[in-house]
Parts: sequence; structure tokens; C-alpha cells
Amino acid sequence: MTQTPIRLTVNGRIHDVMAERQTPLLYVLRNDLGLNGPKYGCGLGECGTCTVLIDGAAARSCVVPISGCAGRDIVTLEGLGSRDKPDAVQHAFIDEQAAQCGYCLNGMIMTTKALLAINPQPSEQEALAALRYNLCRCGTHVEILRAVMRASGQLAEASD
Amino acid sequence: MASPLSNGAERGSLVVVRTVDEVTSETFVRITADGSVTAYNGHVDLGTGIRTALGQIVAEELDVSFARVVVVLGDTADVPNQGATIASETIQITAVPLRKAAAQARHFLIARAAERLELPPSDLKIEDGLVRGHNRSVSYGELIGSEVIRLELADDVQVKAVSDYAIVGQSMPRVDLPAKATGELTFVHDVRVPGMLHGRVVRPPYAGVDAGPFVGTSLIAVDESSVRDVPGLVAVVRIGDFVGVVAEREENAIRAAEQLKVSWRPTPALTDLADVENALRANPSTPRTLIDKGDVDAAISGAAKPMQRTYVWPYQMHASIGPSCAVADFQDGDIRVWSGTQNPHVLRSDLALLIERPESEVEVIRLEAAGCYGRNCADDVSADALLLSRAVGRPVRVQLTREQEHTWEPKGTAQLVDVNGGLDADGGIAAYDLATRYPSNAAPTLALLLTGRISPEPAVLQMGDRTAIPPYDYDHMRVVAHDMPPIVRASWFRGVSALPNTFAHESYIDEAATEAGVDPVEYRLRYLKDPRAVDLVNAVAERAGWTPRPVREEKDGEIVHGRGFAYALYVHSKFPGYGAAWSAWVADVSVNKTTGAVSVTRVVAGQDSGLMINPDGVRHQIQGNVIQSTSRALMEEVSFERGAVAAREWGAYPIIPFPDVPKIDVLMLPRQDLPPLGVGESASVPSAAAIANAIFDATGVRFREPPFTPERILKGLHGEASPAPQALPAPAAPQLSRIWENPFAKRTGIFAAIAAVCTAAIGLGAALLPGRAIAPIARPDAAVYSAATIARGQQLAALGNCAECHTTINGKVNAGGRALQTPFGTIYSSNITPDVETGIGAWSYPAFERAMREGLHRDGRQLYPAFPYTHFARTSNADMQALYAYLISQPAVRATAPANELAFPFNLRPLLAGWNALFHDTKEFKPDPAKSEAWNRGAYLVESLGHCSACHSPRSALGAEQRNAYLAGGFAEGWEAPPLTSLSQAPIAWSEDELFAYLRSGQSRYHGVAAGPMAPVVRDLKALPDQDIRAMAVYLGSFTEAATDAPALAAKLENATKVTIAASTGARLYHGACAVCHEVGGLPLFGSRPSLALNSNLHSATPDNLVQVILHGITEPVSSDLGYMPAFSNSMSDAQVEELVTFLRQQFAPDKAAWTGVRETIARVRSSTH
Ligand code: FES
Ligand code: FES
Repeated sequence: MTQTPIRLTVNGRIHDVMAERQTPLLYVLRNDLGLNGPKYGCGLGECGTCTVLIDGAAARSCVVPISGCAGRDIVTLEGLGSRDKPDAVQHAFIDEQAAQCGYCLNGMIMTTKALLAINPQPSEQEALAALRYNLCRCGTHVEILRAVMRASGQLAEASD
Repeated sequence: MASPLSNGAERGSLVVVRTVDEVTSETFVRITADGSVTAYNGHVDLGTGIRTALGQIVAEELDVSFARVVVVLGDTADVPNQGATIASETIQITAVPLRKAAAQARHFLIARAAERLELPPSDLKIEDGLVRGHNRSVSYGELIGSEVIRLELADDVQVKAVSDYAIVGQSMPRVDLPAKATGELTFVHDVRVPGMLHGRVVRPPYAGVDAGPFVGTSLIAVDESSVRDVPGLVAVVRIGDFVGVVAEREENAIRAAEQLKVSWRPTPALTDLADVENALRANPSTPRTLIDKGDVDAAISGAAKPMQRTYVWPYQMHASIGPSCAVADFQDGDIRVWSGTQNPHVLRSDLALLIERPESEVEVIRLEAAGCYGRNCADDVSADALLLSRAVGRPVRVQLTREQEHTWEPKGTAQLVDVNGGLDADGGIAAYDLATRYPSNAAPTLALLLTGRISPEPAVLQMGDRTAIPPYDYDHMRVVAHDMPPIVRASWFRGVSALPNTFAHESYIDEAATEAGVDPVEYRLRYLKDPRAVDLVNAVAERAGWTPRPVREEKDGEIVHGRGFAYALYVHSKFPGYGAAWSAWVADVSVNKTTGAVSVTRVVAGQDSGLMINPDGVRHQIQGNVIQSTSRALMEEVSFERGAVAAREWGAYPIIPFPDVPKIDVLMLPRQDLPPLGVGESASVPSAAAIANAIFDATGVRFREPPFTPERILKGLHGEASPAPQALPAPAAPQLSRIWENPFAKRTGIFAAIAAVCTAAIGLGAALLPGRAIAPIARPDAAVYSAATIARGQQLAALGNCAECHTTINGKVNAGGRALQTPFGTIYSSNITPDVETGIGAWSYPAFERAMREGLHRDGRQLYPAFPYTHFARTSNADMQALYAYLISQPAVRATAPANELAFPFNLRPLLAGWNALFHDTKEFKPDPAKSEAWNRGAYLVESLGHCSACHSPRSALGAEQRNAYLAGGFAEGWEAPPLTSLSQAPIAWSEDELFAYLRSGQSRYHGVAAGPMAPVVRDLKALPDQDIRAMAVYLGSFTEAATDAPALAAKLENATKVTIAASTGARLYHGACAVCHEVGGLPLFGSRPSLALNSNLHSATPDNLVQVILHGITEPVSSDLGYMPAFSNSMSDAQVEELVTFLRQQFAPDKAAWTGVRETIARVRSSTH
């Protein structure tokens, strides 16, 4: 079958991807673009480990085919910052030691990023609700919540 | 942190090794001439931060800065074989030689420095590897120079005194987090090897069961032709019951695994696990007495108050967030496997055994994986990858699916603990006779079993004894472990058997305290002799503000609060084992007596871990343990269907979400002067008992079987007849015609009737038989039509959805050949491109028009009314011409459709003439002068080319639209086309504006999104101008009375149907699978967020559309703005979908009767191709 490449803008760079249009974005990001941030967790939109930003909104890249991403702006964990220049949210998660195994970390950071974009100073309740469908098995919830509060500049209000 | 150094020779180095035999030695510490330090440990970091802690230990003993130390974990080529990373042993046991090695290196270097600087060692100070004395200094690197120094690890090495510690005991940020937070390579999932292919495995149907003669012997056949169309497929591999596929691209490996037709022998009946207690009792076992002290039998018979209790622990999952993954590269004599294993050396032996090669040829390279808390599928997938790599001779990455990880991970086993005993006359424990059953073993690596390399006879291990002896000094005590094989695949999970055993100990002593009328903390202290335990219990009680409660206080109100205590010293490893950290909990709960919901509001968790290498790390571990074990106690239980694991995704096996996490107050006893203890599990151990004791305090009812779900709580509070919310009985639902689906299933005799009616009709329609042929013409020249006409024709083709039926999936537009399933058989659509031989290239306009209006082929053959000529007949002449102009202006495609497959008598085309005579009216559309122009325009579009009623009207047994039920709802392609009239079941009646929004964008805020066959319809309508869409909305809107205050009504419906607790399987599935995208007010995600309370499909008379979207998802929405919905057909069983559908109906359409026949609908939709 002949394929027309699909053009994706990821972390500000344009990529023409040769893959079937139904291919979930997650696999293209990981395999064609060599990105590590988005992770496979369930493939069903349930756990959040694959979260990226599409046009600024949190998106579960395991259930979004690349055909739906053409012409959109995609940002992954790598697009936020690097070890030397971490983004404020990444910084807050590192400072709060908000990971044990860290497999859920991508989803937590990207979802926080999306949350803060629409609600720069969420209350604790709002943060808990926003992360309600991001799963963490290690039980890092306390540290993650603190990281969200730190990233939004309101750590003083975060209760221990 | 620098990358680990290779083990090859450097310019100069100092190593501390242990010689194993003549050829093998193991390195613990290496210091190179450039001053860098590498430490090797056979254990791995399972997300607990031991990499950081081990680095601290080495830095401390060597007197170098923490930053200088690189810790290498788990690579079999480099690290010592120290067994599996289990039982919290790393810091307690495996770190010991590492610490000694570092100290030994320091002693050596300092001695050398003393010589070099000609000073006594006592005059020297070391600072980050620089030895100073009397204004002179020399670095470790300089001391090593170009020499290769090899020290044999000594036993009697003087390590530092704790009082001298500067690095150990300080909180240190985890070294791995910056990489993880920025997407650097850290996980095995991220390993990419040049030339790497992607593999997936297909597992056998005995889901999650790994013992029995059928294991490895159930495969009948693999039909490779079923995946022949998968692009880039490299191999299909089968060995015994092991089946895998390999493809160039991951998505194609996924597709091949899903598509591969594999036939299996039926699995013999498996143990029914609906009743875990009896299943465990019936499982063969061998008793092993762990302690028998005093005279238990006499003490029991003499007890003043006998107390016999049974505690049942459920099957649970490790539930790693990332399903296991591995990469293998099989080359001759050089086999490498990148793995997330817990036990690289054990895995290496397994792999060597699997492929019948010497161990020395296999290198296991350990990378981090998602937290596993025990044995998950990390080893299994490593073996899978190796088998696939060997088959194709290239590196292969295998990622298990979520469903496979859930199903096949060795479960944390169910456990049954019986305690017999009672109180003596003084209210003390008269005797304690405990029997524990723990059906679990080490879960052999799956591929060994599936390929038949090892026997599927289950091994019986002795692991039920962990913490089986209570920490209390009872005079008469007997503890017996009934060693038994697993029932389903099971292996160690955080806390192993100690957590359930402690649940029994700590529940029992609480029950005894209640019976004795003594405060439960005080009662425990009577029997605790260990001073560290006593200190901890007192400290935790004080921190929590525990007030003595010798007698439980009755609580009033709907929501009651309670508080519970539990304590444990986690005794792990081979019996009699040794203790890890001491732990105690005070848990506060609230219980809603109406809903049964329990929430753990606060936990004070105290721990004595001895010396804490990294106190912050210990705190994080305690918090993690508290959260995970709270989750286990409240909500976790593996479900089975016919003995096989049924939970395949997070809805069926929920874990604690953020809002349910308790407040945690961690109390760490300062014990920096005492040896360090493992902290990875201890804080989990008291969990369930503390919570159960708190629930008792709140409600007065004892719960002896976690998880404490709302259903179980209600049952405990109200008995079997608990007021579980029940759906209303269904009144007879109005039966919609399913004529396009399966008319023969229910209607007997219909076949004969149709034939008779049609035959009779032939008399009436005889004049039409046969249609005369219209002469072919040379392919007409589209140039005679204006561009405007062609453009108009294009819009009309879109309105008529021509391409939808006349194009195959991925086929050329309008070239025909798409199979249309009708009740009468399969019809293949024709080629309507202007190809002269196979399309309509030889059709004159009159021939085209006759086909459109009368349903006759150019050659006079009757066309089947799946082609909606009954509607097209109404098209105006001008539009008909424009449509013709458009079609003949398109590229010609040569393509012949397959022959129709119709059953007698429907294969007799002439009969259709009779059908036409009965049902077809060829008149052109006539406007109604009484109605507005827009209405008439809409009516024309809807009734002619739009042919809405073709789907949205019911059909008679003969497949004709029922004229007296215009737009009253019908079925198409297995989907309900809901009524567009006052019969609409939508909770908010359609308005003109909502119809417009829906037809224009594919979404209405008050109704949902277009899916199924409606999605392409709306997509096609994009070609039409707003005005036409508005006209259709005006016309269709005239059939209903619009809701007066839709926003207020919507808010009311949404508020009334909020899901607050998950008190049923269906509700849990909703929470796990649906709510993330459908919950009202949730975080906006990419795509739309259809509100279920307002969704027409949930309010409809039939569940078909709901079942369709759940099973098949929405992969082709009207536009990507609406987002996508995944298909759950491979992730949920029929029973689960039924639970979910039933819940959704009851929850979101509470005023509607429960659906009937849901199970049949699910079966039908599952087997349909859509
Ligand atoms: S992997 Fe995408 S949500 Fe779980
Ligand atoms: S840190 Fe391991 S899953 Fe969240």
C-alpha cells in the first residue's frame, strides 16, 4: 500500500512520518522520533503514562492516531526542558523527589503542565481531581501533590 | 552521574574482588586513576532508591564525595551474583560486602599515602579522595597511578564508626530523578538497538494459570494466512504453547498479534475461585509446624471464652504501571538481553536453560523498569524476547500488553489464616493456634512452561511462614504453615505472606482486647517483650494522640468515624528469617453506613529502621507503602471467570486514585547507632489490620476479609439482604425493527411470507419486467458541464454519501466492492466511476437517471433497494444532472465487484420489481407551500439524496421503510439510528440549533458525538454550505418540541447523576475506563468530553450503540477535534461489559427501565465486523 507521510510538529520540530494513519501517536513518538518521555502503560487511555500535550491540552497519546495530529502542536516531556535546563514543573518534581520508580512521572508532569496552563494556582482539591486518572502504583502521591503545589508557587499552602 | 565504566583494563585501577573459582571473580568496588569510583551490586533498584543509598554507603566508607560514585546494578557481566532483589534484603544483607570492600580500599590507599607522604596514617585526613597531611596531599588517582591493583575482599575489615558518618544518614536527593523527569534513557522500555524489530506474544486461553497438564500442550494450530496482509511482518513463531509475532514496526506487531488466528484445545475446568476460602481449604497441602509452645490443646479446651476466627486474603496484583518489556539480541555465542528483572543471575540461568546454551554465552543487562514490588512479568518478557530474537536472528523488543501483564503476572496469592484460641478467665489470651495457607511459589519463567522446557508440575515452596509467628509472647502457641502449590500463577508480592499473617495476628489481638474490655494498645503491650517494639508502639500511639478505648463507643449518624491500631515486625527470608524494620500504624477511617464507602482519612505510620542511610528515602518508602497497602486493603481483589484471571485493565482491578489517598504522618525513630534495616516493605505490613480495626471501631462490625469495598461493608452492616441498589424491572420495551440486522432470528415463517408476498406482487408489477436495456454510449465528456455544476454535483454526492457505500476500506473512491450486509445476504456495491467496462462510463444520463429513480441497471436488471433509489427518486432534475456531471468527471477506475451472495428468493432480482410495485413511489419531491422555504429545502435534502429515513425509520419485514413511522428510529449496520421524532429518548429534546451543531460538527453538547455509520454521514456533510445544514436542522427540528431550558436541564441531569462511589463492578469499570474522558468537570483532555447523563445512547430503548462504542471504540470520528475512543473488546469480558452497560444505564438514565438482552447484544456486536 502506498502511504503519504503524515506531518507532525513535535517539540517545535517538523517530522514527516511514514506510518499508517491509524497508528497511535505514542508509537510514532517513541519509535520514529526516539522519544522516551511518553510511556506505554495501558493503551486504553486509563493510566496517563503516555500523556503529551496536543495544542496545549493533555492528550493520551496511546489512543490518538497520528492522522488526528496533523497540523497540531505536540509537546512531550523532552520538549519541556532538559537535565541542565528543566522546566519549572520538572524542577518542582525533582525538588520534591516526586518519583519512586518514575514510570508514571511523565504523565504526572505533563498533566500538571496542562493543569497549570488553565489553572495556574490550583487548590489541593483541584490538583487531586486533575490527577485523579493518572495512576501511580508506587504510592508517590504525596510527593507529587507537593510538586504540583511547588510548581504553582504555593508550597506554603500544601499540607504535609 | 557519569556512565558506568566497562570492566575492561584501564590505565590504572584498584579493584576489590571476591574470587569464586579459578575463572570467575566478582568485583565490588573499582577506583580508577582518574579518581572515579564504581560500585557493583547484584541487587537492582526497583524504584526504591537503593542506587542512591548504596552510593552513599560507598562514598562514606571510601571518603569520596557522593557525586564521584557510580553504582552499577544487576548487569550479569559486571556485578556479583547476590540473588534476587527481594525481601528488603539489599541494605540489610547485600550492602555488607560492598561496604567492606569500600572500607578495605580506603585502608589500602591510606596506607599507601602514609608511605608516600612519609607520615603516620593517624596524621592523615581524607577529603573527597584527596589524602592530606602536613600541607602535603596526594589523590587516590595518584596513589593508583598506572598500576593494576587487585585486592581480595577480606572478611575482617574495619568499617567506619557510625559517629564518624558524614554522608550516610544524610538525606540525599535520588540520583536517578533528573534523568527520569526529563526523558533520558533509564528504563528498559527505552532501549533501542540498531536493527531492532518489534515483537508481541499471544498467550494461551488458560489465563494466568501455570500448572496442569494442559500448560504447554494446548495449541492446535496457528493460521499464518490470517496475518499475511500485515505490512512488515517478519515472523510468526510457535513453540509448544508459546506464540509470538515479529514485525518491523511496533503497531504492525500489535496488529498481527490481534489478528493472528490461533486455535487452542479447550482448557479443562479450572479451580473455581469465586469462593477463595474453600478453594484454599481444598488445595492439597503439607503441614509444617513452625512453633509449638506450651500446651495449646489443653489451653484451648480450658479457655473461658473460646474464639475461633478465619481471615481470608484475596488474590492481588503487583500491578506495575508499565507492562513488562525486554530487548534480546541473539547472536551466535553472544546473547544479550536487556531486562527489567529483579534477579539477573537467576534469569540468566533460566534463559540458558530455555535456549539450551551455556550460561556464559548469555549476558543480562539490567535496566530500570516500572516498580514491581515483587515478581511481575519482567523475566517472562525477557525470555519471550529471546525466543523471538533467536527465531529471526535480529534484536527484538517485546512489550507485553496491559492485558497480558494483568492476566499473567504471578499474583500476590490469596491466603487463608485460621486462628483458634480464646480468652482465659482474666481476659488474657489463653492460647493461639494459627494455621496459614499460602498457595504460591516462585512462578517459573513462563516461556519455560509454554515451550515445555520444564514440567508444569507446580513446585511447593515454603513461603507461607513469613511473620507467621506473632510478635506476642503467648504462653500456649502453635503455628502451622500448610505448604501448598499455587492454584493460579502466584509469587511474592510486597510483604509476601507476612501481610496476611499480620492481618490475622493484629485483627485477632484486637478482637481479644475488645472481648477483654481492655484498650487495644495496652493489651498489645502486655504481650510485647521486645523493647524496640514497645518503644515504637508507645511513640506511635503518642504521636497519633491515641486515647485509651477499653470499650468501643457507639457512634451515631450516617457517617461514622473510627480509629485502629496495628503493629508488626516484618520477619522475612527463609524461616526462621530475620526482621526488617519495625512498623506500627494508627489508621483513622470514616464509613458511610448508607453507601458502604470507607475512606482512610489519616495514617500515622511509625517505623524503627535502625540506621537510615538516606532518611528522606526512608520517608518516601514509608509513604509509598502506606498508600499502596491502603489501596490493597480497600479496593484490590483479582476477579476470575471460570477460574481464569478476568481482570485485564484498570477498571477491573482499580488502584487508589489521588483523591482517596490518606493524610500520612510519618514517624521515624532515630536509631542511627543501630544497624540499618530494610525499609521497602515493612510499613505495608500492619496496614489492613489497622484499617479493619478502625472500621470495627467505627461500626462495631468485624471485617475479616479485605478488600473493604462498599459492597462488603454493606453486607457486613446489614447482612446478606444489604440494600444494594437494584435496577427497576424492565417493562416491555417498544420493539424496534431490526430488519437490517437479523430478521430470521426471531421471526419464524418470515421467509415463506416474503416469498409469497413478492410472488404475488409480480402480478402487479409484471409490466415492468424485464427492464429494457439502455444502449451503452461512448464515455461522456465531462467538459460539457460547467465547473459550477460539477462542484454542485460533488456536494450532492456528499449529501448522498455515495462514496461511503461505493468504496471499500482503503480502496479507490467510488470503485465499488464494499460488502453490505443485509438481512437477505451480502450485497457488493457497484463501481460508479466512469470506467466504461466496469463502472458507469457507458451510461447515458437517461440510464443514470433511471437507475437513480427506478432502481434499474442500465442493462435493465433490477437493483437491490440497499441502494436507496426510493429516496433518490425525489431528487430534482437539475440536481440529478449535476450529480451525473460530477460522477463522470471523476477518474475512471477499473474494478469489478464480487458477485452478491444472496439467499433464495432474494437472489431472484425480478421479485424486486414486485417489491417496487408495493413500496416504491417514483415521484419527485413536491414542496409544501404552507411551510417556510428553509423547511422545504431541508425536507428536500433529507428526503431525497440525504436519505436520512433510510436508517432512521423502521423497516417492515420486507425491508421497506414503514411510512407510518417516518423517522421513528431504525437500525443500520448493527447500530441504532435513533428516532428523530417525538419518540426520541434523548433526555433533552433536540432543538434546531443542536441539530445544526450536530450535523455541522458531529457533536451536540446535549446529545453526544456522531459515531458508527453516522460519523461518515456528518463528515460528508462538510461539503454542504451552512445554509443547507441549517435547512435540514429546521426540517428535522419540526418533528420535535425543543427543550425550553436546555442548559438548566443539562446541569440538573448532570448533578443528579454524579458518580461518587464505586460500589459495584460496573461502577469500578466506569471509574477505571470511562470517567477520565466522560466525567463532568474533569481536566480538559484533547478531544471532546461527552456527558453521559445527556447522551442519547444511554437513554435509548436499546443498548446497541453503547455496546458498539465500548467494544469497538471511535476510531474515525467526524473530525479529530472530537478526539478518539479506544476499543475495549480485547480488554473486557462479556460479563464485564454487561456490568458496565448495566451500571451506565442505571446511573445516567435513572428514569429509564433497565435494558434487557444486554448479554445477547454484546455477543452480537462482538461478532459483528464493525
Ligand atoms: S498508556 Fe495511554 S493512558 Fe495508559
Ligand atoms: S513512581 Fe512508580 S508508578 Fe508512580
